[in-house]
Amino acid sequence: MLVLLALQFGAASVAPVLVRCWGRRACYPLALAPAAALGWAVGHTARVTDGGAVVETYPWVPGLGLDLALRVTTLSWLMVVLVGGIGALVLVYCAGYFDADEPGLGRFVAIFVCFVGAMLGVVVADNLLLLYVFWELTSVCSYLLIGQHPEQAASRRAATQALIVTTLGGLAMLVGFILVGEHAGTYRWSEIEARPPSGGAYLVVAVLLIVAGVVTKSALFPASFWLPAAMAAPTPVSAYLHAAAMVKAGIYLVALLAPVYADVGPWRPLLFVAGAGTMLLGGWAALRQVDLKLLLAYGTISQLGMLTVLVAAGDPDAALAGTTLLLAHALFKATLFLVVGIVDQRAGTRDLTVLSGLWRRMPLVGAVALLAAASMAGVPPLLGFVAKEAVFEAFVGDPPLLAALVAGSALTAGYTARFVWGAFADRPGAEPTPTRPVEPVLLLPAAALAVAGLALGPFAGGVGEALRTYPGVFGATDHHLALWHGPGLALGLSATALAGGLLLFVLFRPVRPALARLRAPFDGDTAYQYVARVLDRLAVEVTGATQRGSLPQYLGIILLVLVVGPGGVLLFGDVRPHVAAHWENPLQAVVGVVLVVAAVLAVRARRRLTAVILVGLTGYGTGLLFLLHGAPEVALTQFLVETVTIVIFVLVLRRLPTHFSRRRLRRIRWGRIGLGLAVGTVMAGLVLVARASRQAAPVSENFPQLARDFGYGRNVVNVILVDIRAWDTLGEISVLVVAGTGVASLIFQFRRRPSRARRPDLPAPGPERVWLRAGSTLHIRRRSIVLEVVVRLIFHTIVIFSIFLLWSGHNGPGGGFTGGLVAGLALALRYLAGGRHELDQAAPVDASVVLGTGLLFAIGTGLLALPLGGQVLQSARVDVHLPLVGDVHLVTSVFFDIGVYLVVVGLALDILRSLGAEVDHQIEVEEAPGGGLRTSGEQTPGVRG
Amino acid sequence: MTPDVVLVVVVGVLFATGAILLMERSLSRALLGVILFGNGVNLLLLLAGHPGGVPIVGITPAEEMADPLPEAMILTAIVITLGLTAFLLALAYRSWQLIGHDEVRDDPEDRRIVRRAERDQVSGPDDSTTEGPLAPDGFGGLDPEQVDPEPPPRRFDGPATEPPQPPGGTAGPR
Amino acid sequence: MTFLVPLPVALPLLGAALTLVLVRRPVLQRTISVAALGATLVVAVLLLWYAYRSGPQVVRIGGWPSPVGIVLVADQLAALMLAVSVAVTLCVLLYSVGEGRADPGQHSPVVIYHPTFLVLTAGVTNAFLAGDLFNLFVGFEILLAASYVLLTLGGTEARTRAGTTYVLVSLLSSLIFLTGVGLVYAATGTVNMAQLASRLDALPDDLRLALQLVLLLAFGIKAAVFPLSAWLPDSYPTAPAPVTAVFAGLLTKVGVYAIIRSETLLFPDGRTDGLLMVAALLTMLVGILGAVAQNDLKRLLSFTLVSHIGYLLFGVALGSVAGLAGAVYYVVHHITIQTTLFLAVGLVERRTGSTHLDRIGGLARLAPLLGIMFFVPALNLAGVPPFSGFLGKLGLLRAGVDAGGLLPGLLVAAGSLTSLLTLYATTRAWNLAFWRAPRLADPDAAPGLPALMVGATTVLVLLGLGLTVGAGPIFDIGVEAAEDLRLRLPYVEAVLPGDGP
Repeated sequence: MLVLLALQFGAASVAPVLVRCWGRRACYPLALAPAAALGWAVGHTARVTDGGAVVETYPWVPGLGLDLALRVTTLSWLMVVLVGGIGALVLVYCAGYFDADEPGLGRFVAIFVCFVGAMLGVVVADNLLLLYVFWELTSVCSYLLIGQHPEQAASRRAATQALIVTTLGGLAMLVGFILVGEHAGTYRWSEIEARPPSGGAYLVVAVLLIVAGVVTKSALFPASFWLPAAMAAPTPVSAYLHAAAMVKAGIYLVALLAPVYADVGPWRPLLFVAGAGTMLLGGWAALRQVDLKLLLAYGTISQLGMLTVLVAAGDPDAALAGTTLLLAHALFKATLFLVVGIVDQRAGTRDLTVLSGLWRRMPLVGAVALLAAASMAGVPPLLGFVAKEAVFEAFVGDPPLLAALVAGSALTAGYTARFVWGAFADRPGAEPTPTRPVEPVLLLPAAALAVAGLALGPFAGGVGEALRTYPGVFGATDHHLALWHGPGLALGLSATALAGGLLLFVLFRPVRPALARLRAPFDGDTAYQYVARVLDRLAVEVTGATQRGSLPQYLGIILLVLVVGPGGVLLFGDVRPHVAAHWENPLQAVVGVVLVVAAVLAVRARRRLTAVILVGLTGYGTGLLFLLHGAPEVALTQFLVETVTIVIFVLVLRRLPTHFSRRRLRRIRWGRIGLGLAVGTVMAGLVLVARASRQAAPVSENFPQLARDFGYGRNVVNVILVDIRAWDTLGEISVLVVAGTGVASLIFQFRRRPSRARRPDLPAPGPERVWLRAGSTLHIRRRSIVLEVVVRLIFHTIVIFSIFLLWSGHNGPGGGFTGGLVAGLALALRYLAGGRHELDQAAPVDASVVLGTGLLFAIGTGLLALPLGGQVLQSARVDVHLPLVGDVHLVTSVFFDIGVYLVVVGLALDILRSLGAEVDHQIEVEEAPGGGLRTSGEQTPGVRG
Repeated sequence: MTPDVVLVVVVGVLFATGAILLMERSLSRALLGVILFGNGVNLLLLLAGHPGGVPIVGITPAEEMADPLPEAMILTAIVITLGLTAFLLALAYRSWQLIGHDEVRDDPEDRRIVRRAERDQVSGPDDSTTEGPLAPDGFGGLDPEQVDPEPPPRRFDGPATEPPQPPGGTAGPR
Repeated sequence: MTFLVPLPVALPLLGAALTLVLVRRPVLQRTISVAALGATLVVAVLLLWYAYRSGPQVVRIGGWPSPVGIVLVADQLAALMLAVSVAVTLCVLLYSVGEGRADPGQHSPVVIYHPTFLVLTAGVTNAFLAGDLFNLFVGFEILLAASYVLLTLGGTEARTRAGTTYVLVSLLSSLIFLTGVGLVYAATGTVNMAQLASRLDALPDDLRLALQLVLLLAFGIKAAVFPLSAWLPDSYPTAPAPVTAVFAGLLTKVGVYAIIRSETLLFPDGRTDGLLMVAALLTMLVGILGAVAQNDLKRLLSFTLVSHIGYLLFGVALGSVAGLAGAVYYVVHHITIQTTLFLAVGLVERRTGSTHLDRIGGLARLAPLLGIMFFVPALNLAGVPPFSGFLGKLGLLRAGVDAGGLLPGLLVAAGSLTSLLTLYATTRAWNLAFWRAPRLADPDAAPGLPALMVGATTVLVLLGLGLTVGAGPIFDIGVEAAEDLRLRLPYVEAVLPGDGP
């Protein structure tokens, strides 16, 4: 069976190619795929009809209880026959139906074959989850098929509607399956059927959900509206969709589950009401239609209702009748749709108020239609009649339902007559509709099906024999199918139904107003539109409420959560910060006070520079606190970082407005302040609590000797940075690298790349170099010779000092960061004093290259340890003897620190180049000509002077 | 043991002021807030360890040393903050360059939907009705602190910035 | 094989360094970065293999015994995430290479694009491998810093605004995370996660809860959990297509990964499960309603991204093995599919000049292949069988039904509803962009698409189908990973031999 499925999908995948090669003739070879399914079924007839089952199982996702378990018994065998046989015939029909140059024919055929495969999967799946998989696949395929002409909004809407409605039910059904499967411990239906788990509340819920799935899929009331809309699809699709696929899936599922669930509370009431209601409403609506296709569509809905009642009843006679009707319906409904397709194609209309006299122009077609219609109306000796008889037999014990069924049959007979008459008869005083000839390939499939319907009538007994094992599961029955049971109640009822139908048809005129007025209580389509509309509105409201697009609000919400969550625990939880007011030394208090004042003032400040300076003050204060707390290393870095930060700020602030923009609303400010205070309190509380409940000794307690013995350094913090936790440092410098490049990419927006601005008019650096670059470049007003000279003099000293810091860091205060920052500051001095060309001369390299080299150093040192048999970033001590210097203990982690140093320098360089030099350049460009430059500024490509 | 109460107070204040500034609309103010917040966090990390002497072998005996691990973490944190500060400042500069100030504006698409919510409209083209291009009024919505578009954008760099873009529609990596 | 463990971080960093040094040689840059990521992918797959065969792979950086030094741990969860994300990243890189080659006119940030992209990858991998809370923080910082730069590439007005939102929110989350680390150290005196597992258990319950909440908040922001999710749809869509794709695929998932890790290893007493379930519920519904309200493809996808984070949270909140397994599989699926969709939308934008549903249409006829590349992942995202999205959803729903009770029941219902609404939103997008009469926002958009871009996207689509076909073994890995997570012991044993919680 898996092969069969694979065959369908394989055929689907090659279909576009075939169509491209052979045009519509490609349908013939493709029809072989469904035909193969039919052949397979016929081949296994004997085994199945004897009550055996064909089983195949392949694993897929055992963890989910989802495996490819396939099982064919009588019921599914029947379905396979229908799916395969009708599928093949419809494909053949397609070859004649479509024009040779039909757009997207390849896609269409592919999806159609896919559809056949999916439907086949539904009926052969034994695993409920697998069944759901194929079930949804049919929905998707129908979506694509109904949307065959997607340019028309109507067809798009119909497709989407069908998809959404069926998926809605499908999801409910899935949850139902999961409920069932989880309680049964297996998803194999065969096993559940064999040992049904004890019922319970869950089972009721599950059944409700599954029924929901059925109702939507089989277009039962109130979900029946999508089916008529689906008429937007090409007629072959309709034929297949109505006769064998999609809507039949729901019936099949009911029939499959009925043996176990028919007695569960809501099952019968729900399905009986839905089924009977649908049957009557559908039939009634069908009478009203003037479009042949729509008439048939409502007819299908009505028939589906009847089928549901039959297969849901869960009693052998009804089951037998149901399966027979299933077969009969498939045969005649497919035929009729194909006929409508022919009429539509050849006569150019489907409107039965226009068509006239077709029985003369296309008598064969008329005959076929008549045959099928007779079967639909339940005229002997056709299969439809046999089925109707069985139906009435089965429900003799249930008068109300029986009455409904008879009424339904009457309606059926009525609209059947209307169909035949409207399509083929002469309309008085109307010209016969002109038609084009019908070639056999169009007629044959329809004829074959109709004849089958005729032939199976007399052999009803054989049909009953073939199907008997399915009703058998409900219990024994003495009733069996036959064309002639002799006069009896059933026969009478059939006659009544037919007579009623004819009456309805004859009295059509007087009935018409009633038809016009009497409609279904509400129209599912409008309901759907309404719900969709409400949904869209809801979406807009919710989104508008939750997604304000305001950054301060987002941050506020985050902080609010911080206050409510952990703060709430602090407040109500069983945690008490026991505060012991003590301080190590008074100096801390002093610094603390200054810091607090500065912070508060910074919040109030309205001038940018003031705010920056105040914040810087808090930074230095923090540094002091570090120092007092015994962290000179950190303090030093903090001071340097703070300085660099202020420099950067100043560089940017020179362009930004001096004042912050005025804030408007006071209320918001107060809320803001309140939130801020709350945050502060919560944090302080948290740190008190956390610190107070520390029991264990810190991991770092024996870092000192570890650092000395294995890190070969006395400065513990530095050893941690470059050795014990060097991995963190590695990550950290990569952050710096990225930040540096990021700054450049933001500022150098209209240069090809951050390139050093080489001045064409500068004297080439040769023997007689210009000592103070600014001399030739910087405007006289901006120069301060003294500063320049001083900076120039101390520059190298600072750089050397920074290198010393780097070197000594391992044992004394210092290290890569501090060294790098000092060097960076030196560069900043050079720039501030002498302008950007001075900077270029001080560091004639690309910042990104420096950054890259630094990162390379660090990561390289780390990886080098690997080939040497160590772990990544493992450090070693190398003793080398240098002339003049003597013995040097070299710790490999120093190279790592060099990397850090380079990265920091590179970052500083990048910042100075972008926020400093490049911004200068942009200012000059704005001011030029006659701006700050003596010589007009160079015109780099892409810059408008 | 409990930490020094002064430091705890300072931590609290730094967090509070940081948070307040962070919620401002001016990017540079928010950045200052980040810095204050960051200092608060660093102090908090410091409090996580026990105080003591300089953690350098030979200067302080091991048992009197301050806990070195938090110090290392702080160092890492400080330096990361430095890099990100620089980046944010560049962002502020860029924003000034494009729109004349460094205020953070609201997201136009969001404002559009908010406005539709107020007018009880459906958003998004449902299949039948397709609306024309959006009105470019991304600003002046509900938020009273929303900055008005003055002063007019000053774009002196033609080739650099692309023409004002339809919301959502952007160019590939350039 | 432990020497492999640090390579997924080291190789991209090495690549980044080289590409920076070779800043002037675009071609060489491309070659290096592709090579670096390719090698990383190989390593990641090997790691997955070893983790699957012989338990967690641990490396002690610098040879320092844990808990003294930093450990990197590649257990099944980490290795799985690693393999998938690196594979996806590689595809995205190829895509952007194709894009870059397609229009040589736009060089400037491409110079920094490759190094930044590589650093981003290194950050992601480091976050997955980190066995040390502070190192996890550093990992986050790496990937965030890189993401800041990538998001603001080109520095247009829209990107500057989006970047500001993104950067400030992320900065706040990082600061909160760091605070959390500080508090944890203050209370326990260690940051080694394996050691924390036992030391946190010793703390008073409510203190532990407070710490847990602080960390959850930090991670929740990164994972875009409602109500902390509003920043995401504002920032992601403005970025260049490949950048958005890799963000959507990976960054939020790193947050989810951190949540999974901390909830199982550090705070196994499910005291926040109820909270998480409510958050999951709201995230799903609010997110998907947002998607329904959008009429721009990128924004629509961003909202679905948020909404489907709810699924992952759902699995985590259940806390059962089934739930975690489902969540793990769903993460893998979602990384792949969300990225694919964003790449496909990037192609749409390239073909039509816009992603705005009002301005485009008829692509199914103009570019059928593109249609398939959008349709299949879209169905997959909506959880339509037989695709991986359905399988992941199935796992979660099963777990929810098993758990029973009111909240799980609600979540099952909400989960189904969410996938229906996802289908609703995506089919509407499909109807407009692909099915209705053709219209191009930019009539003279290039009719042809660069082969490399299409190829990369196709590979991702196929990868998604692979997740469906090979669901069996992948889901088994998920189950085993979940069992290990519940036990905690394998992880702790691997890091600190002879010291269970």
